[in-house]
Amino acid sequence: MSDRQVAMVIDLNKCIGCQTCTIACKTMWTSKEGMEGMWWNTVSTAPGEGTPKGWEQMGGGFRDGKAQPGRLPKQSEFGDPWEFNYEETLFGGDPHATLKPSGGDPDWGTNWDEDVGGGEYPNSFFFYIPRICNHCTKPACMEACPRGAIFKRDEDGIVLINEDHCRGFRFCQEACPYKEIYYNAVTGKSQKCLFCLPRMEEGVATACSRQCPGRVRFLGFLDDEDGPIHKLVYDHKVALPLHPEYETEPNVFYIPPLAPPSFDAEGNPTEEDRIPITYLMSLFGGEVVEALETLKAEKAARKRGEPSELMDTLISRNWVDLFGPFNKSPKDIEAMRLMEGGQLGTAQ
Amino acid sequence: MQSLKVTDISGFLDPVARPWNGIAAERVDMMPSPLGLQPNDYIIASWEERPYGELEVLSAASVHDGQRIAVRLVWEKDKPSAGAGEGFPDAAAIAFPVRGDPLLMQMGSADAPIHALQWRARGNETRSVNAEGIGSSKPGPDVAAAGKGGWSGGNWHVVMTRNLAVPQGGAVLVSGHATRIGFAVWNGHNEERAGIKAVSLDWIDLELEA
Repeated sequence: MSDRQVAMVIDLNKCIGCQTCTIACKTMWTSKEGMEGMWWNTVSTAPGEGTPKGWEQMGGGFRDGKAQPGRLPKQSEFGDPWEFNYEETLFGGDPHATLKPSGGDPDWGTNWDEDVGGGEYPNSFFFYIPRICNHCTKPACMEACPRGAIFKRDEDGIVLINEDHCRGFRFCQEACPYKEIYYNAVTGKSQKCLFCLPRMEEGVATACSRQCPGRVRFLGFLDDEDGPIHKLVYDHKVALPLHPEYETEPNVFYIPPLAPPSFDAEGNPTEEDRIPITYLMSLFGGEVVEALETLKAEKAARKRGEPSELMDTLISRNWVDLFGPFNKSPKDIEAMRLMEGGQLGTAQ
Repeated sequence: MQSLKVTDISGFLDPVARPWNGIAAERVDMMPSPLGLQPNDYIIASWEERPYGELEVLSAASVHDGQRIAVRLVWEKDKPSAGAGEGFPDAAAIAFPVRGDPLLMQMGSADAPIHALQWRARGNETRSVNAEGIGSSKPGPDVAAAGKGGWSGGNWHVVMTRNLAVPQGGAVLVSGHATRIGFAVWNGHNEERAGIKAVSLDWIDLELEA
């Protein structure tokens, strides 16, 4: 348990699955050798197998406080990194050449089951789930490391791997029930999302948050009563952790998705949910029922012209309000400027 | 077990070098490291129903030339795991007490540390390691550790070498004196790493021939 905890709230009603967050993260953090297959930020379509494929069946986390065995995900379950024949296609002189991944037809990758979704037409549905390391209050990865190489910072609760101590044993990868840790076969070390620590320390939001065109991601300290995180998680109780039954107490929360009503055989709207509540409960626990009721009620109130602090917060008309105290531009930070073109890249 | 005095150790650096044929090897009984001594609940929970450390016997031989010691290990493995890509490497270690009376199974303690050489098939490298208890291993002093392994005919053959005289923190070895030695072997195919390994039952006396 840290003294303070930074957290993120992701509004699933606003995510359009554009993967800008994924690329912002990729360009900033995982472009080096050995990191080709790493996606510290993913956006997968739900329902679906997710990233890595079938991660919800791989175990880990805790049950009644007891550590649960987990399975080591394979690189192929995340999706092997693909190389494309750019040279041949763009400069080879063959006008019929098309872009193809090398090494045969790939059969899995991040968000491979994009838009497959669930339900039967006309009541089909899908939504997107962006995921990063949850920087859990009770990190299963940290407890599983025999080297003590994983630690949680007192000042902000960010969970980090000390690569000087890591020996690549990967117990962390097994124990993380969200399978958010990757193995770098070149360095022999485990690596994962840093919650953009060097940016956050300078008051700049994480790259995935700041680059999001949909204004989907809120940031802040959990205990900041005036910040959007506290309002959404504790006051309105509409932001919920993914798979709370894993008992790691994630610090990434989700606004569950609303959907249009189902239609009957004649095409008339019914009272029935389009996204089965049992499915949402399997993701977010029983509290999702009340959270959705609150969202519907506040939405209706706003539609009637009544005030709604919740809707105003979620709409986030003023972009930087999303980020609580982490609202500075990287352009304004001297340290960031010095690092431009270096490891930190140039994401704004 | 005895480390025989030879005039020049350089002929023994290759694990399949002919001179090793003339050195008597000790048969060392091995067993799984105790599950209850693993450093955390996760490792215990994930291995309590999974076999590991199944190697039953290891062959160990040693020579020294008054400056350096070489220990040759041979153990059965149907195919090698080099630990390339996502794989875990086969590995082996030899341990010595630094001071006091450390418990090998507990990887020593703050008052009685142990010093080890660990060879890993990944990169065919040998490193110096200190430990003061379970899960405490950290880089050890510079003892000019070197090693080489090769797999053939269903066996790993590995030689690890180091200086007898070592800086503070290392286990000092002296020609004509006795110390103790312990062994560990990891099966990479079985995802064995860290404390999940086969170990010698206890220390074995090692006498360095004068």
